[in-house]
Amino acid sequence: MQENYLAKWLSGALSEAELAEFKKSEAYASYVKLKEVSETLEAPEFDVDQAFEQLRATRMEEAPKVITLHPFKKFLRVAAAIAILLTGSYFYVNSLDESISTQLADRTEITLPDNSEIILNADSKITYSEKNWDTNRDVKLEGEAFFKVAKGQKFTVSTSQGTVTVLGTQFNVENRDGFFEVTCYEGLVSVSHNGMETKLPAGNSFMVIDGEIKETGKPHNMEPSWVNDESSFERIPLEFVLSELERQFNIKVNTQNVDKNLLFTGTFSNTDLNMALKSISTPSRMNYKLEGDNVLFYAEKTP
Amino acid sequence: MNNVCEEQVFSSIFKANSKTVFNYIYYKFGNEEKAHDAVQEAFVKLWENCSKVVPEKAKSYLYTVANNMYLNVIKAEKVRLKYAAPSLEHSTESPEFLMEEQQYKEKLDNALNDLPENQRTTFLLNRIDGKKYAEIAEMEGVSVKAIEKRMHLALKSLREKIDGI
Repeated sequence: MQENYLAKWLSGALSEAELAEFKKSEAYASYVKLKEVSETLEAPEFDVDQAFEQLRATRMEEAPKVITLHPFKKFLRVAAAIAILLTGSYFYVNSLDESISTQLADRTEITLPDNSEIILNADSKITYSEKNWDTNRDVKLEGEAFFKVAKGQKFTVSTSQGTVTVLGTQFNVENRDGFFEVTCYEGLVSVSHNGMETKLPAGNSFMVIDGEIKETGKPHNMEPSWVNDESSFERIPLEFVLSELERQFNIKVNTQNVDKNLLFTGTFSNTDLNMALKSISTPSRMNYKLEGDNVLFYAEKTP
Repeated sequence: MNNVCEEQVFSSIFKANSKTVFNYIYYKFGNEEKAHDAVQEAFVKLWENCSKVVPEKAKSYLYTVANNMYLNVIKAEKVRLKYAAPSLEHSTESPEFLMEEQQYKEKLDNALNDLPENQRTTFLLNRIDGKKYAEIAEMEGVSVKAIEKRMHLALKSLREKIDGI
């Protein structure tokens, strides 16, 4: 009997002689039975269509893996993304507002796109949109500035304590902690404070100290004194005078036994510290000590 | 051209082979779920590599992928097979005969599960799926002679188990 004769017999590959010999063996009947019964065996159910649908769904999800992109298309995608980013940031940067600020003991002059001029006092900041300037003359102000506004559209100065609206004029706006003052030197200025509007003709001031509107003297000059390196005060609480001194000279002012609510009338130099200290201390009957950047004002000993 | 990437060609390969891939894995490991997964996995791989596989090689590619997927990974479970419903001729047989038939099938089931995995797969692919030895050899990646050897040994040990030798 040849090798693997059972396999040959099952596939019908045995020669007649071999088959006859196999039929004589006692195991033959058993193999016939095994062949017959195993023919009736069945595998578990398998739904070809359902499996194909499932595969189609999987393939859809994984489609990007399968389709290799043309390298140039890939490059175009990246290029497009970069282009969008660049244009986006260009417009973003362009729409950013122009911002100019001064340090302590510093002063700067700004010419706006319409030739309006702003002189910015120490420790102040203005913000405006250069791009929209033609349609929207709007300046945000922190600190103090003197405006010489060219004639034209409405010009607005927005501050945290009120809004100043003009058409074309010269005026000063001071917006400091607890202190808000608008002085009009030419033309007519409209000041809106706490929802209340005040018309300010040339040669008048509008002042708010700690939320309270105060009477104030008329300006004596055509410009605020600080533009000419002097700080002038008329019946102003000492507290704000000393704050101005700190800003003009970038120093630290301390007081001892001094009533900071006393009203001060006078002028100090913005260039000569010793002169300024004398200008403040003498009329207020105070002494001072200057050590580096620190000044101490203290009450004169009563004789 | 005949390309596996073409929807029609791929679809016909699937229709012709998916059931056998399923059975092939089931005979090996006795786990229907794994067999279903193997079909999906094998055909997804074929689709992904459709440009690299010529249609004539697709079949053996499928079995290789399906086989590799579970190589040494899963433990073989009991293979459960059904038997075709008895024909009318058989149903008129005596209760004794039917009982004997039932006992025979149980013995065959047990004997099949006792076979080495490669012998069982070869035997069932031939008996259930009607695959020729040459086809099984291609699926398993071995020679026809090796398949004949497996078939011979399978028949021998099945008969011995059933007859209690």
